[in-house]
Amino acid sequence: MKHHRITTAVIAVATTFALAACGGGGQNPSASSGAGGFDAEPAEGGTVHVLQNADFSYLDPARGWDGGVNNFYRLVYRQLTTSAPGSADDPTAIVPDLAESLGEVSDDGLTWTYTLKDGLKFENGDPITSAEVKFGVSRAWDPEVGIGSPYLKQVIDAPEDYEGPYKTGDLPTIETPDEKTIVFHLKKPFPEFDAVVSQVNATPFPEGSGAGDEFIHEIVASGPYKLAEYVPGSTIKLTRNESWDAATDEVRAAKPDGWEFTIGLDPATIDERLIAGQGTDVNAIAGIIQPATLPRLQTPRLQERVLQFDGICTTYMGLNTTKKPLDDVRVRQAISYAIDRSAIVNASGGTQLGAQSTTIIPPAVAGHKDFDLYPSEGGTGDVEAAKKLLDEAGLSDGFTLTLDIRSQESMQAQAESVQQSLERIGITVELNLIDTSTYYETIGTPSQQHDAAITGWCPDWASSAATFIPPLFDGRNIYEKGNNNLAQLNDDDVNARIDEIGAMTDIAAANEQWGALDEEILELAPIVPLMVAKTVLLPGENVTGLYSSANAASGGIDYVGVGLKDPEKG
Amino acid sequence: MPRFLITRVASGLGVLLLVCLFTYLVFFALSPDPAVQICGKNCTPEVIDQIRGNLGLDQPFWTQFFHFVVGIFAGRTYGEGVGAVECAAPCLGYSFQSSQAVWDMIIQRLPVSATIAVGAAVLWLLAGLAGGLLSAVKEGTFLDRFTTGLTLTSMSIPNYVLALVLQYVLVVKLQWLPFPQAVAFADDPGQWFANFVMPWIVLAVGYAAAYTRLTRANVLDVLRENYVRTAYAKGLAQPLVWRRHALRPALTPIVTIFGMDFAGLLGGALITETVFGINGVGKMAADSIARNDQPVIMGVTLLAGFLVVVGNIVVDVVYTAIDPRVRVNA
Amino acid sequence: MTSTPTDLTAAQAVAAGSGDTPEAPAAPAAGALRAGAGGTWQALRRDVGAMLGLGYIVLVTLVAIFAPVLTAISGWTPYEFDQTAIDPNLGGMPIGPWGGVSAEHWFGVEPGSGRDIFARIVYGARVSMSIALSATALTTVLGVSLGLVAGYFGGRVDLVISRVMDFLMAFPALIFMIAVLSALPAGNRSTLLVVVISVFGWPYLARIVRGQTMSLAQREFVEAARAAGASGTRIVFREILPNLRSTIIVMATLAVPGYVGTEAGLSFLGVGVVPPEPSWGQMIAASVKWYAVDPAYFVFPGVFLFLLVLSFTVLGDRLRAVVDAQEGR
Repeated sequence: MKHHRITTAVIAVATTFALAACGGGGQNPSASSGAGGFDAEPAEGGTVHVLQNADFSYLDPARGWDGGVNNFYRLVYRQLTTSAPGSADDPTAIVPDLAESLGEVSDDGLTWTYTLKDGLKFENGDPITSAEVKFGVSRAWDPEVGIGSPYLKQVIDAPEDYEGPYKTGDLPTIETPDEKTIVFHLKKPFPEFDAVVSQVNATPFPEGSGAGDEFIHEIVASGPYKLAEYVPGSTIKLTRNESWDAATDEVRAAKPDGWEFTIGLDPATIDERLIAGQGTDVNAIAGIIQPATLPRLQTPRLQERVLQFDGICTTYMGLNTTKKPLDDVRVRQAISYAIDRSAIVNASGGTQLGAQSTTIIPPAVAGHKDFDLYPSEGGTGDVEAAKKLLDEAGLSDGFTLTLDIRSQESMQAQAESVQQSLERIGITVELNLIDTSTYYETIGTPSQQHDAAITGWCPDWASSAATFIPPLFDGRNIYEKGNNNLAQLNDDDVNARIDEIGAMTDIAAANEQWGALDEEILELAPIVPLMVAKTVLLPGENVTGLYSSANAASGGIDYVGVGLKDPEKG
Repeated sequence: MPRFLITRVASGLGVLLLVCLFTYLVFFALSPDPAVQICGKNCTPEVIDQIRGNLGLDQPFWTQFFHFVVGIFAGRTYGEGVGAVECAAPCLGYSFQSSQAVWDMIIQRLPVSATIAVGAAVLWLLAGLAGGLLSAVKEGTFLDRFTTGLTLTSMSIPNYVLALVLQYVLVVKLQWLPFPQAVAFADDPGQWFANFVMPWIVLAVGYAAAYTRLTRANVLDVLRENYVRTAYAKGLAQPLVWRRHALRPALTPIVTIFGMDFAGLLGGALITETVFGINGVGKMAADSIARNDQPVIMGVTLLAGFLVVVGNIVVDVVYTAIDPRVRVNA
Repeated sequence: MTSTPTDLTAAQAVAAGSGDTPEAPAAPAAGALRAGAGGTWQALRRDVGAMLGLGYIVLVTLVAIFAPVLTAISGWTPYEFDQTAIDPNLGGMPIGPWGGVSAEHWFGVEPGSGRDIFARIVYGARVSMSIALSATALTTVLGVSLGLVAGYFGGRVDLVISRVMDFLMAFPALIFMIAVLSALPAGNRSTLLVVVISVFGWPYLARIVRGQTMSLAQREFVEAARAAGASGTRIVFREILPNLRSTIIVMATLAVPGYVGTEAGLSFLGVGVVPPEPSWGQMIAASVKWYAVDPAYFVFPGVFLFLLVLSFTVLGDRLRAVVDAQEGR
């Protein structure tokens, strides 16, 4: 399974992608909207404005793959299947989109067949047939274009040397017996294949299009909106795609006539505009507010516009078990005891923007088990217990460790509070600031990694913990580059348990086991869970239809249901 | 005059090339491997090597530098085949982080920066000249001493501190002005003014103070010159002496300083735009620093160098035009 | 003074007292030759502004030196978190008016962490003073020696040094400083700051020293020394350098505020000293987000920084005036 770490996200908390298991089982991260009523049915028309700081990674869904852009793709692109809308009973469910129904699987679990709906068209009016779907999927194999979600490549069978439609040509392992039918052959059975074809890089494109940088500034829309204007780093305007037929789409309400993304705004400026709420800003939504904005929302007028969602990503500190003295489990446990989580939460914006976390799997993700192996009063850390363990390890005088951190304000604040926590037990923490753009590459390279690092993890699907535990703790997944097992934990028992649970077909039973394994792993203290970031939003007063989606938007607002109360306003 | 100009332009180009070389060398030597940054999530050593080869990063320094300089005049293509990226002339580099040519990014944000720069320049020229003249006329009076004190204070207040003070008082407390953001003049002139007035003041204050002092000193110097005394002796009225004999020579040096200051404004705009969160070239540079988007930092540095060099040439030309003595010497 | 490169020019313009044009570099205090230091001090002592400035500089210096003592008295180190001083439910906002000013925290606390602002101001003074003074010392050494060499020996040496000076002064210094600092590893930022500031700062002093050296080299006492067979180095350092003393002192004093501002500006932009080491510029940068709800957070470091820059500026300005007056006498 591929990873998902927290990066600077735009609308959503985190980088994640939508790969939801079929059926329920996931606790739906609930939206506790304010009295303003963001669940009223949106009216037809108007333009929704989105204010954001960072530009989207890529317009090309074969390249982009993070919480912010996946959500954007949902407005312009469609796949065979997709995540249910945020307003659904179970928003983590995978539902049919271009396909008439979910896939039909052969008895051996290796062949999946989908049938396309009638009346599907690209923005230029050309029909979307199985050939275009196949072409779009095959782009994932191109070494330059296919840098997004890895699932298609991992699961679908393909010739060893296949390098996508531009370099190699046709992908023989995907069959298109007629215009409506597409048949996939898998490397090995993958019961959740419906989630694989919901990946953003399974978007259909006209055959032969999208080579090189063609889609860097272009979109070929299959969804309800098409690109009207794109000024990189500044604005994206979407207008209605007249070729899109609402009758073929049960997921996208698509009530507004258009969308306007204003990019490159300072986070403080965004908050100022939302607070003022003037002009078109009544129709605006944006990402998580700044901690400094929270004290300003205490007026009743603003309080009723505040929208809060639970988080699905865990922020943690990985302890490199190959370095001395962190190879001693007692030292790692001592650190686990000493950490002051309340300080971490405060440094990250306080209790409204984060919750202390004592487990690897966050509460909003299925498989979460509530436990605290290293308890302390108010989460401030148990210094005595920690000191005792250090004494046992013969390190009463403490030691020095180097903590890798991203040179970014909130992460620095977290690191400084770790530094303070550990100073209490005689551990001197030296901060190693790493540039934002190379941070994950550096800590993902064991030869460059130091003693500890602060990072985060989001599930690939929120209805099971299968993408939380194995990538982080499977000892056989330690790579020279792009390593996610930061602790470099290679424990035979843990590895065996991962195999055992991974083979279970009963998802509910498996989830229970993942929760148990969570606790077993934390007894070894390879990482210290710190907190789960929460989402606090301040949408404009005229916006409605705001529902969170763990899958489509990493716990942020799912765009497809958003609309305006009064399209004439603003 | 033309010969003087040619020499001047040639030496300017030389300086520019040196700035280019110096900047390129620093980034070449110091910065982390751009290939690693481009490589992103699913990175392997092979992919990095491929990117390095594609972008010519495996070539020797001088070859890379040559391509860079040629790119400025003729444009260039990064990589080859399907992954190739076009960068039209003047190509100051390509930001792989934002998939845009640096020049396009600059052009997009230049109007905002120009608005701030021009507005601030007008403000500080007016304030500086008026304050300086007033101070000189009333030399030794309370007004003069007050102005001197004010200029010292204004020169000492860091512009980001001033920005915060103004923002707190005018936006939060008094609510006279909106939180600044870039509004187009054509959209709403009133709002345009209200939004830009704080950045103008913040950027102008330090310069206004310096110009006040400079103007005052120059005017006083000139008034002590013999020809001015002669003019008085001939019985010319004070205003006439001022206009005809004192002002022009006193203000000539201001032109020089102004040209150079204006050309170098990008540095000041960096702080002003950052503190107000206004999306100009300076803010872009600051953001690129935070993201370590080197091509952009380098592009902005070169632009700043270019402006300074061009500013110097323009100043020299204007100077010869308004000061006959220099013309003779040249 | 703010940290734009032209502000350096402006500071020199103040020093020069008149037009600071490339064509006609004015030489301040050109002939303040034998005006005794005692006389200067006497004159300066009567100047209220200069004395207030000096007083504040001495105060900040003492605060910087005795930072550990002061924080021992106040009870908080600059790195200690105080969770009880902030409100976790309001984004970590300090509890109480004026950013949490109380008997416990004299200047309030930092939002989010509850770190003591007084302690951070006190330790931040160390950073500001040490970097500004080191940079001044280094620029002065570089500027004076290169200026002397260029001015006295002339010819090819002068040509090379002058070209380098022109080049450095034509450089967008602030932007380039930021670029270099951002590209360099964050390791020893303080030293890097001093070096980078000095590299771009020395030409302003060197240019003036060069000009004065050129005129001094024609004077009788130098001619006499030369006739007596003194070596070039000896003449430069024994005969000419002492005559530049007041110029150098004035120029150095006037350079300090520029460097204080530059250090704070670079820290403000995130390329200065590395957190959690406190610096005034960095504190102000962090306060930008909180300006609306916690103005005290920028007021404390802002006022300290402003007063320090102002004190050096006023002191330098008055010093120049005194030296100029002595020259005129």
